[in-house]
Amino acid sequence: MLSEFSLIALFIVIVLGFAASLVLIPVALRKLGIVPSQPSAVKSEPYECGLETTGPTWVQFKIRYYFYALLLISLDITVVFLYPWAVEMQNLGPAGLVTVFVFLAILAVGYLYAWRKGALEWK
Amino acid sequence: MEIGSGMNSRDLDLHEGHVIEDLRNSAVAGLPEPSGWLTEEIERNIITTTVDKFLNWGRKTSLWTETSFTACCTFEFISTSSSRFDIARFGMEVLRSSPRHADLMITAGTLTWKMAPQIKRVYEQMAEPKWVIAMGACGISGGIFADSYSVVPGYNRILPVDVYIPGCPPRPEALLAGIELLRKKIEKRSIAKGS
Amino acid sequence: MTVGLDYNRIIDVLPEDLASGAVAFEAHGLVIQPEVLTGIAAFLKTEPGLELDYLCSITGVDCTEYFEVDYLLYSLKLNHRFTLKVRLADRSEPVIPSLTGLWLGAELQEREIYDLLGITFSGHPEMKRIFLWEGFSGHPLRKDYGHGH
Repeated sequence: MLSEFSLIALFIVIVLGFAASLVLIPVALRKLGIVPSQPSAVKSEPYECGLETTGPTWVQFKIRYYFYALLLISLDITVVFLYPWAVEMQNLGPAGLVTVFVFLAILAVGYLYAWRKGALEWK
Repeated sequence: MEIGSGMNSRDLDLHEGHVIEDLRNSAVAGLPEPSGWLTEEIERNIITTTVDKFLNWGRKTSLWTETSFTACCTFEFISTSSSRFDIARFGMEVLRSSPRHADLMITAGTLTWKMAPQIKRVYEQMAEPKWVIAMGACGISGGIFADSYSVVPGYNRILPVDVYIPGCPPRPEALLAGIELLRKKIEKRSIAKGS
Repeated sequence: MTVGLDYNRIIDVLPEDLASGAVAFEAHGLVIQPEVLTGIAAFLKTEPGLELDYLCSITGVDCTEYFEVDYLLYSLKLNHRFTLKVRLADRSEPVIPSLTGLWLGAELQEREIYDLLGITFSGHPEMKRIFLWEGFSGHPLRKDYGHGH
């Protein structure tokens, strides 16, 4: 039965190979001397339209993004659970529909809570 | 001299003044054109020639221009990149503001000493292989502002220039002719030289 | 069309102490002493009927024997204009009061005049060069700024 997923396995191998080659091909070309490589101090500095950077460039991460990440997890996982239900919607019948709506209602409560508490405001 | 976050406005001004004065004092003669590799005899075999052809073709047909345009020649560049003169047929319709993505700097405009350290820094932050086209009289020699107290007499005081295009401003046809010269120059590169 | 105000109209309404600072007349302008500049400008800005509340530009001129600073004042509401000119005889250390207290827009223009002509504006919040860099010697738009500086 595992052989049904052979194509998926091949897909995974190709994807990993592609990602690795994107990183390794430039390194290999540089080692072979085909592409020029002349690192310098100025070249490695952060780009700021030709100016020297004033002060540190690594600024503190905004905490606001944490809330968006939390909301993303909850709503994204909702979508993940909706897909299999959508595939088997006919077979699951009305019981399935009610179950899914209860599930959506629970998630909607969480979303409404975040909305009313102002987690969606950008400050 | 590093810029720290504790520097106030006056210190920043003094620092900028020092940088500009140092650059001005050191830029007394024009830098030579980067073409030393053209005169050397290089050993090439069939593999190198094929790779060369492929790489040079790729580089010359997709020159991405860095947007560091200072003055009026920019408008001629804009004309060239719009539909009538169509620079997109040379693969050059892409303009990148970040020097990391660009490989061609077209100096469209007069350069003042105050702007010179910035342009030099942007050029140095571009990744190789990179080329410079000096566009217009101000790019070649400072143009009508050559004797001015504030104008750099030609970009080749601070950057090595590959192609010079005369004109004030050069017509789009002239700019395209200069780009064609640059493409011919790019064709002559070889990996056997390690460039 | 913005109408140029006649100098007589201004002279008639100026209070005594300010009017004494006027040294010469032009068609739509007054040449005044630097001491009364701030007073006259404030008066022209707020006087009903004049309300020259827009400072269009400040221009510095090197007239070889003296410096001149021209202030172009417009009234957006009443659509008329007037010019104030101040002549500075001292070429070695020319000083003139700054109008940044009345118009914030004067700040950069006065810095430009200081940078290129060397006229200092007293009371300016940040009297420093704007187009040229710190460490540049001289003031290029002066008539005696020569070649081979």
